[in-house]
Amino acid sequence: MSIMQTPFLAVNDISVVFGGLKAVNGLSFEVAQGCIHALIGPNGAGKSTTFNCISRFYMPSSGSVTFQGRELTAVAPHRMAALGIARTFQNLELFSELSVLENVLLGTHARGAGSLGQLLRRADRESIEFAEHLLARVGLADARKQPARDLDFGRQKLLELARALAIRPTLLLLDEPAAGLRNREIESLDRLLKELAGRDGITVLLVEHVMQLVMSISDRITVMAFGEKIAEGTPAQVGNDPRVIEAYLGQGAIHV
Amino acid sequence: MSRAATFSSDRVMLALLALVLAVLPFGASGYVLYVVNLLMVFAVLALGMHLVIGETGQFALSHAAFFGIGIYTTGLINNHWQPPFVLSILAGAVLAAAVGWVIGLLALRMRDIYLALATFAFGEAMQWVFLNWESVTNGSNGMRMRPAAIGGLQLVSDLQAYPFVVVIAAFMLWLTVAIARSRLGSAFRAVRESDVAAMAMGVNTRGVKIFAFVLSAAFAGVAGGMYTLFASFIHPESLGFQTTVLVLTMVVVGGLGSVRGAVAGAIIFGLVSELLRQAPSYQEIIYGGILMLFMMFLPKGLASMFTGRAKGEKS
Repeated sequence: MSIMQTPFLAVNDISVVFGGLKAVNGLSFEVAQGCIHALIGPNGAGKSTTFNCISRFYMPSSGSVTFQGRELTAVAPHRMAALGIARTFQNLELFSELSVLENVLLGTHARGAGSLGQLLRRADRESIEFAEHLLARVGLADARKQPARDLDFGRQKLLELARALAIRPTLLLLDEPAAGLRNREIESLDRLLKELAGRDGITVLLVEHVMQLVMSISDRITVMAFGEKIAEGTPAQVGNDPRVIEAYLGQGAIHV
Repeated sequence: MSRAATFSSDRVMLALLALVLAVLPFGASGYVLYVVNLLMVFAVLALGMHLVIGETGQFALSHAAFFGIGIYTTGLINNHWQPPFVLSILAGAVLAAAVGWVIGLLALRMRDIYLALATFAFGEAMQWVFLNWESVTNGSNGMRMRPAAIGGLQLVSDLQAYPFVVVIAAFMLWLTVAIARSRLGSAFRAVRESDVAAMAMGVNTRGVKIFAFVLSAAFAGVAGGMYTLFASFIHPESLGFQTTVLVLTMVVVGGLGSVRGAVAGAIIFGLVSELLRQAPSYQEIIYGGILMLFMMFLPKGLASMFTGRAKGEKS
């Protein structure tokens, strides 16, 4: 055993090559337990590619990703939920014809359907109550019977979050959670995410463009440009870093 | 509100159906009972296709092949050994499921049109096997089937077969509803709605697709076994793509994704197909016409008329 503590989530020197293009080039960073950690950068910086490597939707060409010391690249994508890793999607991936409640209940799938015998049973009382509790928490209790597609965009994003929480994650991966939300909605997302990290102890890694949210909630920020890490630190450190300001020039300076 | 309404209308329809089925044997002619037996076979075929296409969203088009495997397996076992019927129908279902598993392992790597084509090809190949494996199936001469025996009773008429056909169909309907309401049913629908999200929720999407396909094959196998209860002859010609298309039409016209739609579709299209038996050349045209009209005006099928969600918009 090494004396150093095993990092909660570690990205170790990953590269991703699409055709001849290096989308991510030797990226490393660590996410500490209980933190809200943001991954930001201009368009095309490789944030989403990195996100997809961590969430097991892409395989890095080289390098590794470890979660509590366990190599994630060897884990089948559908086993991530059982490890306590949940995710949301950049362009909503809801089960749109299913009810709001059934969407959230599916988040309990990994926990409640381990064997064929369990699979063939209906969702138990406890799972349903838990799902309803989560819906109340994100403010969707009144919509439980509606088909997911009938919700407006902001509420669909909240539903995706509730569904991810139903996994009972220790690590929550959010792909642009604030994209397309109105100001008021961003403010409540802000509160909710702080609460999830602070009260529930869930570690959050998010890719986000909405700087107002990133600067408010993040404990730590990793900045990428052209597939590489150019800066890392607290919001204050990153916001004043000349390399970061330079990378964002032409896209409007970073709004703190 | 609307949920309660559909729930009670389901109960009313079930009660009506049960009443009709209970009264029928008193007074209905042998031909009518034959048609009703056949409709129940179609209903089980449609329920099986509902599981894989309606619930799981996988367009697998080889239903007739598994139906055939069920018929030949059960029929041949009855011809040679006359074991208790439960065993011979189970053998048909298990063999259909086993073949379905092998095909599913190969074909369900593919999706959409590729899956449809691969399963279509398998269906054609199976029909060729039924036609040419003469030592077993008697090939293009067709195969005679001895009446099935249940508890020492030889079922020689449609009337005698009828109660057993009803009981099996009712059991398969119950099983379909139970599966749809279970966590497995949820996983099926999750795969249909979003493969990647299902995976992120911990659903083994590949396994679930294969399992849905195997279940649908087993249902078709059971339907084949039911058929041997009242039919005395099987010809490979009736086990081709038209039969798969007929069942597909039932499920689509009934309303994809709805159990009551699959049953309603089976009853209506089973009748249409029987009525048109004298005019086989018009049959395909009329099916095609009805299918097109439904696609245009009622894309969610008959079931949407009950639930009041007739609009076919899909987000």
